Amino acid sequence: METHGLTRDQLLDIEYYLRLTRSLEERVVALFRQAKVIGGLYRSLGQEGESVAAAYALDYKQGDVVQPLIRNVGSILVAGAKPADILRQYMAKGNSPTRGRELNIHFGNPQTDGFIGQISMLGDMIPVMAGITLAGRMQKKKLVGLAFIGDGGSSTGAFWEGMNFATVQRLPLVVIIEDNGYAYSTPTWKQSAVRTLADKAYGFGCAGETVDGNDVLAVYEATKRAVERARGGGGVTLLEVKTFRIKGHAEHDNQAYVPKELIEEWKAKDPVVRFERLLLENGFATQDDITAIEQRVKREIDAATDEAEGSPMPTPSDAALGLFAGDGYWDA
Amino acid sequence: MPETTYIDAITQAMTEEMARDERVFLIGEDVGVYGGAFKTSYGLIDRYGPERVIDTPISEIAIIGAASGAAIMGMRPIAEMQFIDFITCGYDMLVNFAAVSRYLFGRACPIVVRGPAGGGTHGGPYHSLNPEAMFMNRPGLKIVAPATAYDAKGLLKAAIRDDDPVLYIEHKYLYRRIKDEVPAEDYIVSLGKAAIRRKGKDLTIITWGAMLYVALEAAADLEKDGVSAEVIDLRSIIPFDEEAILESVAKTNRVIILHEAPLTGGAGAEFAARIAEKAFDYLDAPIKRVAALDVPTPYSPPLEAFALPNKDKVLAAARELLVY
Amino acid sequence: MATDVVMPQMGESIAEGTVVKWLKKPGDKVERDEPLLEISTDKVDAEIPSPAAGTLSEILAQEGQTVTVNSVIARIAVEGEAAAPSAPAPAPPPKPEPAPAPTPEPQAPAPPPQPRNPETPQPTQHPSTPAPEHPIDDLEERRRTKSSPLVRKIAKENDVDISQIKGSGISGRVTKNDILDFLQQPPAEQPVAAAAAPAPKAPAMQFAAGESTRIEPLSVMRKKIAQHMVISKQTSAHVTTVFEVDFTQIDKLRRQHKDNYASRGVKLTYMPFIVQAVIAGLREFPVLNASMDENNILYHRDLNIGIAVALDWGLIVPVLKQADEKNTFGLARSINDLGERARTKKLSPDEVQGGTFTITNPGIYGGLFGTPIINQPQVAILGVGGVKKRPVVVETKDGDFIAIRSMCYLALTFDHRLVDGAVADQFMARVRQLIESGQFTM
Repeated sequence: METHGLTRDQLLDIEYYLRLTRSLEERVVALFRQAKVIGGLYRSLGQEGESVAAAYALDYKQGDVVQPLIRNVGSILVAGAKPADILRQYMAKGNSPTRGRELNIHFGNPQTDGFIGQISMLGDMIPVMAGITLAGRMQKKKLVGLAFIGDGGSSTGAFWEGMNFATVQRLPLVVIIEDNGYAYSTPTWKQSAVRTLADKAYGFGCAGETVDGNDVLAVYEATKRAVERARGGGGVTLLEVKTFRIKGHAEHDNQAYVPKELIEEWKAKDPVVRFERLLLENGFATQDDITAIEQRVKREIDAATDEAEGSPMPTPSDAALGLFAGDGYWDA
Repeated sequence: MPETTYIDAITQAMTEEMARDERVFLIGEDVGVYGGAFKTSYGLIDRYGPERVIDTPISEIAIIGAASGAAIMGMRPIAEMQFIDFITCGYDMLVNFAAVSRYLFGRACPIVVRGPAGGGTHGGPYHSLNPEAMFMNRPGLKIVAPATAYDAKGLLKAAIRDDDPVLYIEHKYLYRRIKDEVPAEDYIVSLGKAAIRRKGKDLTIITWGAMLYVALEAAADLEKDGVSAEVIDLRSIIPFDEEAILESVAKTNRVIILHEAPLTGGAGAEFAARIAEKAFDYLDAPIKRVAALDVPTPYSPPLEAFALPNKDKVLAAARELLVY
Repeated sequence: MATDVVMPQMGESIAEGTVVKWLKKPGDKVERDEPLLEISTDKVDAEIPSPAAGTLSEILAQEGQTVTVNSVIARIAVEGEAAAPSAPAPAPPPKPEPAPAPTPEPQAPAPPPQPRNPETPQPTQHPSTPAPEHPIDDLEERRRTKSSPLVRKIAKENDVDISQIKGSGISGRVTKNDILDFLQQPPAEQPVAAAAAPAPKAPAMQFAAGESTRIEPLSVMRKKIAQHMVISKQTSAHVTTVFEVDFTQIDKLRRQHKDNYASRGVKLTYMPFIVQAVIAGLREFPVLNASMDENNILYHRDLNIGIAVALDWGLIVPVLKQADEKNTFGLARSINDLGERARTKKLSPDEVQGGTFTITNPGIYGGLFGTPIINQPQVAILGVGGVKKRPVVVETKDGDFIAIRSMCYLALTFDHRLVDGAVADQFMARVRQLIESGQFTM
């Protein structure tokens, strides 16, 4: 089996992240149903493969930065985000990375964390990632940025301006464009008239490619090539991953608008199950290895949950602080 | 001390700050090779090269967004809007990403967004905007509007050095019409401090930007009638010098707030409410605002002149206050 | 159609007014609110603004004539409809508002309803709802009686009824200057100083041939003084107690420190010491720092000491606010400063209001002591006599001796409705004790 340079340990590492992502989200759902998670909840069920695989192709020691959207929790876990921090964010705790000011995975400092969470305006992160990679270049670093955008998000003006700017500036940016079938209730064919999303690359003049998003190794390989192109000065790649959103837009959405057969078809192509089968069938892992990973994941998530649940809510009057540098609120 | 035009003062500020701090760079449309639509960045690319003076596609979203991304990586970008009117195209990035960066995420985003604003140049409705009120209500963004060449330079330097995002509103009408003494040595004008341009005791006029000169002309006319008007140049809208405003009102007991942007929901409304709240007992007459009509700035000169504030409108307001 | 100009009633007790001078003559065009004539009533002379725009058609009361309140003194012919804009000179298009903003604004109808000023175009005022007449009357009434926040504040602190003051603002509103002028006349000061101060170089009185009595109308200020003196006497039960105080220690301190103070721009008089002694006394006997009404004693937290200053044209009492927070130097400087600014008419409204106790100086022209009249609504006033060297008996353990000491009579007039003699005397004893001790930080 072609592993694209990945060692056995690395393959098991990827398996760990896949399981961590899925289980962490299941835990968040459970907490949500216990009214411990505040606000909306969005799962990446069925998309964990491309999130983890793409993020795994970065080199965080060189200052690489990954930028997730809501269905890319796996990518920031690979980059080093702590499950306890993610849970604190979901539970609106006062010691979450944003001190309760922002929700779910909207957090992260690109200078120190290896990732930067998004803001809700879709497409906005593309110009921001262009700026981050521009700064990296100005600072003589060799950092590469990896941005995620969905089929819906790629319709916005911000996406277009950001892609155009990054491409013409030849910035070291890899943009994973996920076609997961739907943007809320809007199927991709209503979102855009292109043959396939990677064709938008022609509009910018950057490299474009399409890959099976539920094939972990394929995504890893394609992303690695794109990252190397970027790091070598070859500019932007728009890498389309074809995948599917197994659950609705959010926990409150039963996606009645999606044909049942489509969901079943994609369930059969589950990326995590596929990857595990690959490892087992090719001797990279035994069932014990897999079980050990699952147990480790469970322990870690349990510990993270205890930590998060035991965290305090924010002090109400803190709401008035931290707007400008002057009050030193964020220095502590 | 040499006399410098308002626009040259801006160029000097950028030139000096880029020399002083290698993290400072300029990004915008036609700012590099062309030297800027008004020549504000003339000579910068020759001095600092195209990596630090970046010509962009026509993309206000990308300009502000990329500048913000670079800022959270530790750089100090100056993002130019060719006309401040186009900031509305990038409004989302400025208010939803840059302005909130520290409060929501604990990340400093020290960008300066600057561009020529204001009317009186027959630029029509898309080249005459005074944007301060549009941003006053989005917390996290500082806003300044210099009226003199001295302040133009000092405030821009301060804005660049500020660790928070700053909207720097330069008034195109003043670019080449205003000259004053600008020191060659390094200096800054702190944000949040007003300047009392004329001391008086009968009436206070609070203003900023090009309207400063309208206020001073009106004050000179009032002097002939024995009325002594105090003119305060706020120069910083967020944060603003509340103490200077209240002190002056406590002294003169009559106040006019003068701004070039339209009346309703203009920045003057905030200052008027503040005065009513905190200096109520010192008012001997209602608070008056003189501002543009609530219309887009029209193009034809007689229309534009009628729509915008002028000396006569200030005098009429002053006279009403004085006989109240 | 004509509008009447009437002699206004400036307060309940006013029954008439005198036309002093017409500023316009019949046939002149007048604008609304333009000054029409000067009148004199029980208050300060003032200008009456025209109630309408038009032409002054006839004058019914001549200069010098006194008429009853509300009588018609002139008429103005108003041209066109009543709502004719006041056409202030250079106005460009008098077109009514350029009709943008059709959106109905729930505007607070604060802006004066009628045709204020086409100069300040307010497109957001909808012409569709003209202000009803009733509120116009109410508005003018409010202006006259409630004036502005600033004026109300000054009036409250000085216990003055705004409607008693002649107003020169629109609708007869009392302006800041009106009330300040009103207050600068001595509300209830000592007659001693009043006798001394006005007409300092009294020119020899001239009598016309055959005239045994010369009639000179009372100035408005003089009427004011007369009124307030009497009111104070009628309000308080005035009693005066006099103490003899040895100022020798103070003399010594002045000698020792006056050059140092002068080098810092401050003249060191007796007053800073007297003020501090008074403060000590008031702390122990707070009833002397109070006011009263029919049912209550109003104790004041702040020690705001008024220091009477004689002026060429009368008397004024600037107030040292929170005088207890200053040391000797601070008091000396403030007293100098207030006195200087009182003489040059540069006091702010804040500085002539809010006093809780007054000190006056009737000994300035050499008198022994005075019996000052209380400055309402206070309950006490301290009159300082002249400091003179006198021979006094000094008792020592070795026997009695005659010594030359600087002596001064301090006379406290107090309101016996609230303050009993024993309290007043104890207060004075304390004041004397502190002054005689010379224990002051310089």
